[in-house]
Amino acid sequence: MNILSIAIKEMKQDFRDRRTILFMLCFPIVLMIILGLALTNAFSSEVSVGEIKVVVKDATGGGPLSEAFAGFAKEVGKMGVAFEPLKPGMNGREEVENNRYVDYVELTNQGISLYGSSQDAIESNIVQGMLASFTDKYNAAAAVARIEPAKTEMVLAGGGNDYIRELSVDSNRTPGSIDYYALAMTVMVGMWAAMGAGKLIQGEVLRGTAVRLVTAPIRKSEIFTGKLLGGIVTNILCVIVIILFSKYVFKAYWGHHMGIVMIVLISEIILAMSFGLAGSYLLKGAASRGIISLVVQLLSFFGGAYFPIGDDSGEGVMGFLVNLSPIRWANHGLTQVIYANNVSAAWPVLGLNIGFAVLFLGVSIFVMRRREGL
Amino acid sequence: MNVLDIRGLTKKFGDFVAVDNMSLTIREGEIFGFLGANGAGKSTTIHMVSSLLRPTSGEIRILEKDITKQSRFAKMNLGIVPQDLAIYEDMTAYENVSFFAGLYGLRGDKLKERAEEALEFVGLSDKAKSFPKNFSGGMKRRLNIACAIAHKPKLIIMDEPTVGIDPQSRNYILASVRKLNESGCTIIYTSHYMEEVEEICSRIAIVDHGKIIAEGTKEQLKSTITDVKDIRIELKSVKGTEGDLLKQVPGVRTVLQEENVIRVHSDAAVDNLNRILKQLMDAGKEIRSVEEQEPNLETVFLTLTGRNLRD
Repeated sequence: MNILSIAIKEMKQDFRDRRTILFMLCFPIVLMIILGLALTNAFSSEVSVGEIKVVVKDATGGGPLSEAFAGFAKEVGKMGVAFEPLKPGMNGREEVENNRYVDYVELTNQGISLYGSSQDAIESNIVQGMLASFTDKYNAAAAVARIEPAKTEMVLAGGGNDYIRELSVDSNRTPGSIDYYALAMTVMVGMWAAMGAGKLIQGEVLRGTAVRLVTAPIRKSEIFTGKLLGGIVTNILCVIVIILFSKYVFKAYWGHHMGIVMIVLISEIILAMSFGLAGSYLLKGAASRGIISLVVQLLSFFGGAYFPIGDDSGEGVMGFLVNLSPIRWANHGLTQVIYANNVSAAWPVLGLNIGFAVLFLGVSIFVMRRREGL
Repeated sequence: MNVLDIRGLTKKFGDFVAVDNMSLTIREGEIFGFLGANGAGKSTTIHMVSSLLRPTSGEIRILEKDITKQSRFAKMNLGIVPQDLAIYEDMTAYENVSFFAGLYGLRGDKLKERAEEALEFVGLSDKAKSFPKNFSGGMKRRLNIACAIAHKPKLIIMDEPTVGIDPQSRNYILASVRKLNESGCTIIYTSHYMEEVEEICSRIAIVDHGKIIAEGTKEQLKSTITDVKDIRIELKSVKGTEGDLLKQVPGVRTVLQEENVIRVHSDAAVDNLNRILKQLMDAGKEIRSVEEQEPNLETVFLTLTGRNLRD
């Protein structure tokens, strides 16, 4: 009961500290907007492709291939690929080299030749893919015609979409800039709990109220647990507000495993609180708050809270530093959970967070027990 | 019944002995004055009684129970009014009192009733929903007291509860101390204001260098210094060299200066008033008045410790 009373008192005080709460909520949201909008392009994997113009020379003198190709050209024309006949006096290859057409297609009775542009590689690859589909279909139709000519039309018939198959390089959903910063800022706010925890006990000492708490008929462990619990709940509520804001106002994507995401974030808050407490016990005085604040800022920076930094290799000094940040662990794990539906990526993060939290709490309890007063 | 029993209490900080083998008994219903200059060891003693510090050796018993063995019982019966305000500025007066009272096991209607009672006792009922950040110094001091009494402790330690407040609030607090005492509370009272201690305390201990050097009622303490006379000399102006000058006069023990007034404590058996005055006049000092006073607590304190209480 005492633990609950202290926790409620703690939360009441936290939420009455309007400046801190506003900062906790507004700063990440404003950063989300600024960084999310400013770095949109850095997160985009989309390439715009305009109309694709292809010049065609039909040297078959009419016939099944010419007829089938005309049908194919008509279908894909609806999708922005324009096949234009080679006019007399024009050289197909030169037209492509001079960048007037993306590709040059030559139809002969021996088959189809394609000359692509290296300057418009993406567009050329699209045309190549379509033509490959067309030739597969045409070869199939030719084979059917030899056995059952009546069904040839059936094979050649079909929507233009048959010519496009999505073979994505990155099959998973990837975060846009707002998605990235919604996650990064939320994780960073979780880590900010360390700064609040730094003054959790020291605040009572500075206010003089530690005297009343210590002289009351309650155990130090109750004071410690109550204050820790209050701080954790306050920070969880802040994180929830930021998640909801980013989800419903910025339309940030949080995936389909919100429960797991929250558990990881709670474990991060517990780690941050434990770190802040241990720091305040080991370093003492106002200096401890400055040092904890500095460490949190460095962890945020290296953890990619402000912009993505480093890669997964962990090589080099930067790679090493980056992988030391709990923000990085959480960002990395949660990205896997949210975008790859890889729930198991949460377990290593949970293990690290809780493991270090136990270590820091152990240090705090050890120092607290040895100390007179709080 | 003894409310507080201290036996052979010692507290060392490294090589420094803050409290040195102290023994003391405070009986039920007393207002016990605990006097000592800064660094004398009184705060360390109070901190050990209230479990803020662990004794190096010795025993403390509250209501005849050892505070280390029956810590909860001791704490339940103890109320602390610390010298520094111990209230939350961002919680209302009522929330402050009910939060601290709640830590003593009070719940529900009883908690509400006790919190309201405590606020009424210190005259803050109408400010129950106000935040202490908007209070005057005196009101904060009163709230500080309310937080210590809502659980109805048997022993209340008041460590300089009137520091830095206006005379009206000071009088209110002194009246509250008397009322608390009348309602059955035993009170340990420390103050730098000798007149407060003289006014309200039934028994007094003087602490110096970690030891109790005198203990008793104010009359008993005053009677211990019948061999000292207290001469008050008002000068037109004081330069600060008068002390050295007067200490050359046989019988003079201590000389204190308070603005333009010189206070001389001298052996009562030595008739030296004329020599004291001559010494001053020879030095060109203009004397405005001379008065030989009855010894008061301050005289006792000065005689015993050689220091002013405010040192």
